[in-house]
Amino acid sequence: MNDLKTGAFNKQFVYNLIRSSLPIIGLITVCIVFNILTHGSMWNSRKLILNQIYVVMISATGVFFIMTMGGLDFSQGSIMGIASIVVCMLSGKNMILAILGGILAGAVIGAFNAFFYVKRKIKSFIVTICTMFLFRGVIKYMASNSPVAANMKVYDYDTTAIKLGITASVLIISFIVFRFTGFGIKLKAIGAGEKATKFAGVRTDRVKFLIYVLSGAITGLAAFVNIVKNGSATANVGSQLETQILIALVLGGMPISGGAKVRFENVIVGSLLYVVLTNGLIMMGLSTQMMQLIQGIIFLIFVAIFADRESLSVIK
Amino acid sequence: MSKTKESTGKKLSGQVKGYILLILLVLISWGIFKVITPDNFGSPKNLLSYFEASLLAAVGAVGFYFVMVMGMFDFSIGANIMLSAIVGCVFANRFGLGYFGLVAGAIATGALVGLINGTFYVKLRIPSMIVTTGLALIYESVANFIAGGVEQTLPSGLRAFGQMPGNLILAILAFALAYLILNYTKIGTYTYAIGSNEFVAKNMGINVNLYKVLAFIISGAFLGIMAVLTISYGSSMVAVTGMASMSRNFVPTMGCFFGLAFKKYGMPIPAIIIGEFVINIIFFGFIALGAPTAVQDVITGLALLIIVTMTTNVAKGEIVK
Amino acid sequence: MSDIRLEVKKVSKSFGITKALDEVSFNINKGEIHALIGENGSGKSTLTNSLAGIYHKDHGKFILDGKEIDPANQVEANNEGISIIVQELGTLDGLTVAENIFLGHENAFVKMGIKNTKAMNRKANELLKKYGFDRIKASDMIDDYNFEDRKLVEIVKATYFAPKIVVIDETTTALSREGRDELYKHMKRIREEGNTVIFISHDLPEVLTMSDTITVLRDGIYIDTVKSSEIDEDGLKKLMVGREVTGAYYRADYDEEVSSEVVMRVEEVNVPGLISNISFELHKGEILGFGGLSESGMHEIGKACFGASFDRTGRVVLSDGTQINDIPTAISHSIAYTSKDRDNESLVMNQSIRDNICLPSLDKLSNKAHMLSDRKLRNFANEYAKKMSTKMQGVDQFVSNLSGGNKQKVVLARWIGKDSDILLLDSPTRGIDIKVKQDIYQLMDKMRKSGKSIIMISEELAELIGMCDRIIVMKDGSINGELKRSESLDENSLIAKMV
Repeated sequence: MNDLKTGAFNKQFVYNLIRSSLPIIGLITVCIVFNILTHGSMWNSRKLILNQIYVVMISATGVFFIMTMGGLDFSQGSIMGIASIVVCMLSGKNMILAILGGILAGAVIGAFNAFFYVKRKIKSFIVTICTMFLFRGVIKYMASNSPVAANMKVYDYDTTAIKLGITASVLIISFIVFRFTGFGIKLKAIGAGEKATKFAGVRTDRVKFLIYVLSGAITGLAAFVNIVKNGSATANVGSQLETQILIALVLGGMPISGGAKVRFENVIVGSLLYVVLTNGLIMMGLSTQMMQLIQGIIFLIFVAIFADRESLSVIK
Repeated sequence: MSKTKESTGKKLSGQVKGYILLILLVLISWGIFKVITPDNFGSPKNLLSYFEASLLAAVGAVGFYFVMVMGMFDFSIGANIMLSAIVGCVFANRFGLGYFGLVAGAIATGALVGLINGTFYVKLRIPSMIVTTGLALIYESVANFIAGGVEQTLPSGLRAFGQMPGNLILAILAFALAYLILNYTKIGTYTYAIGSNEFVAKNMGINVNLYKVLAFIISGAFLGIMAVLTISYGSSMVAVTGMASMSRNFVPTMGCFFGLAFKKYGMPIPAIIIGEFVINIIFFGFIALGAPTAVQDVITGLALLIIVTMTTNVAKGEIVK
Repeated sequence: MSDIRLEVKKVSKSFGITKALDEVSFNINKGEIHALIGENGSGKSTLTNSLAGIYHKDHGKFILDGKEIDPANQVEANNEGISIIVQELGTLDGLTVAENIFLGHENAFVKMGIKNTKAMNRKANELLKKYGFDRIKASDMIDDYNFEDRKLVEIVKATYFAPKIVVIDETTTALSREGRDELYKHMKRIREEGNTVIFISHDLPEVLTMSDTITVLRDGIYIDTVKSSEIDEDGLKKLMVGREVTGAYYRADYDEEVSSEVVMRVEEVNVPGLISNISFELHKGEILGFGGLSESGMHEIGKACFGASFDRTGRVVLSDGTQINDIPTAISHSIAYTSKDRDNESLVMNQSIRDNICLPSLDKLSNKAHMLSDRKLRNFANEYAKKMSTKMQGVDQFVSNLSGGNKQKVVLARWIGKDSDILLLDSPTRGIDIKVKQDIYQLMDKMRKSGKSIIMISEELAELIGMCDRIIVMKDGSINGELKRSESLDENSLIAKMV
């Protein structure tokens, strides 16, 4: 009986070890494999790849908080789009104003999501697919005839130092807050058992509301980095960002229902793995549909591995 | 004894109340736009064409209703319609199977997609919306491979389901079938039972997983019929990637929420049909107003949000994720 | 020998590490009402649920009329001749009355895949009429009927096919006098037909009048089977509680004066549909009990005082004048609450013991910059978990793997760590074994002596009488009487006010 228990415990331990190390092993493997397959041209274009990581990684941080609580957000692409347009329009006046405007625009859409999700109690994925579509319509309307162009001055900010600096600060601040304050424990507790968390004195509705606003604001900041890179906002700006973030977080080992098994490393490893993987596949000369097929398959495999089924009594 | 009369009386008035509510919605939505743009909106002929357009989504919605009642979700509706339409078109056109190829090809593909959705959901034990998001990526790319990156056009000789009376006949057949399954088979009873309480249903000997997969297959097959109607109505289909097919999810989903809201009146299928009609009246109303297409997306998103807000009734303290 | 209907042979069942049934063996005869009694967590429901196919036993055999049965679900059990009426609602919303009655047995009405709804409704109406439930109509949605009527539908569902054994699991507590009489009538009818009723109830007088034979379980172990005519309530209680726990089980004092200092005043509190016009005072160092039937609204009292009720009106005021209207205010003013629904409302199940204990104390544990250190959290959790002598592998273990008693210890450790002065304990010993119960009673006594005030809400009358300075009895959402602590207080005087 005792042997059986320790046996089961060891198995659990090994399983957990695999779970926690798989994304990192995956990242290293993918890097090595693609570098060999592309004869090192991937390493040579590292700057280009790095350039694509910023936006995904920054906005994934906000979604990471949302998913830790067990929520979802499919409106990230549209938040990015609206915020990008706001940044472009304000960039002519004042760059600080443009940054703040982007953040504010993101926060407002986040609050819009949160209102329906928290106050009206509608499932987060339904709310956010609605707002995704809604604000995509607004973006199309604003940028239908021609892209919204930013002031040429934004290109002055297109330096690795600034982009990396913004990304690193978002990550470091988020990491410290998530890991070393009560914030992270509360978010994980909401994901693992919202009712009990409420009964332990956490103002769960307030936290949920604020996280959606925060996540919108973070993506609004990412919109600045996006515009610095691209110089203008087209009708397609930010589209598919939500899927990219979702795949990135899942690749990073994030349990889809959030909760106690969430780690902050999920954001970093996941975003890196996602960007390296897609770029590698592009360099291999794969078509868009082939890439999408591979993404879909890998997504499902990783979701299946990392899903925290214990905390879902009925899976809907 | 008095309670008997009361409850039958209540029940009768329940259905009547439901119909009155729906017809009122039709009249209000029609009335508003008729007042604003009296010239190019809302003539009887116009209304018929709005109704024809609404049949498409209504057919998909009555199938999707089986999945939604059980409390599950499907993000791959749009991808399914796209894939089924393309396969049907290829069967009819490239393989020369004509109408049979179109209908059988689309429905079989839809049902197969449903089977895959259901099986992955049940076997992997992952929330259905996540599984179907992943699978939608795959369906889109498969549709792309089959279409070979070209727009698939249905030959003009095969478009009988795109106009009266072909579309109406096919739609009525579909509605009748859904009604039959829901009210006159075990599947219908079990669908509601699983939606009400999965644990109790399981204890009553219902093979919950089997019926969940079945719900996805039924949903998929109806989306296949919707695909036939869609490609016949629009005459061609482009295989898009990057989850762009999601935009096709909205209208059937909206109808489904109408069905869920009117479930308590015992008339989900009529509610879905009339609900889709109302949605189309509003869409065409905005077109008559000359709103740009981008604004339609805004309306679609907002309309679904409002419909969901009005139709969901969450118990106090219930946890919503 | 031929009288034996069911042989229970060495049946065992565990949930995780908790042994709910440990090699239970006994026989049940034909044509009898066989009561199954024991305290909460004694394994009664586990046994009958295993018999009826809701759970699957780990070991042992059920032998029905000489044939071993092993039903995988309720329908298979029905086909073997066993049906069950459960404590909770067993009917499903969204289906008609007839569909509920025949759920899982539709095949009798299905021809070529098409269900004959008319025939099904006709048959259901016939049955309802036969049972005397004419006011329930087969074609109506079950949603249109109240709890009581739905239970009647369940009686039809469970007995229309004349099963050999009908299990009735604590159904009576939720029913009115009228509904109970209806149920008793059908229990007797089943017995007269030569079939067997297995009857689970907490209400000992009811058990003694209704049943022919009584089997007692304790902590998943078979204790004894006795004839109802040969035993009385005290005898049953002795069997249920066991003699090894007579000593310092409850508190021993009887004439200690309770301080007159009021720490919490509840004024005209209403929660729509649950409680109305509740007013009382809680004194310093007092254990105030709330008793009543499970549906009497008493479980809402704890939530109402904790600021967790929805749509509550009235005032809950502390001695310093603070009004309690939400949970964070309650906690910051040193109020603690343990829910009856421990797994959903008290504990974050898939979370570590550490985080569960630290959750309300995070502010206290963080430094000036709002930073927390892992070591500090671990030490804190360890200290209080150890103080409660929680059995665990370490504070990183998830609470979902703990037994009921240890889960409750984690909950209590959390509030002791928070140094709460007012404790609202709803069913603190529910589903907990006797050893841990004793620990909890001793803890409560110790807290009382150190000046903390406790409200104890419980369905177990014995522990209310044994622990409380005062007991308020609830009935139909209102206060129906108050009893002072005394040696002569017995359960009958409480029951008299409960029903």
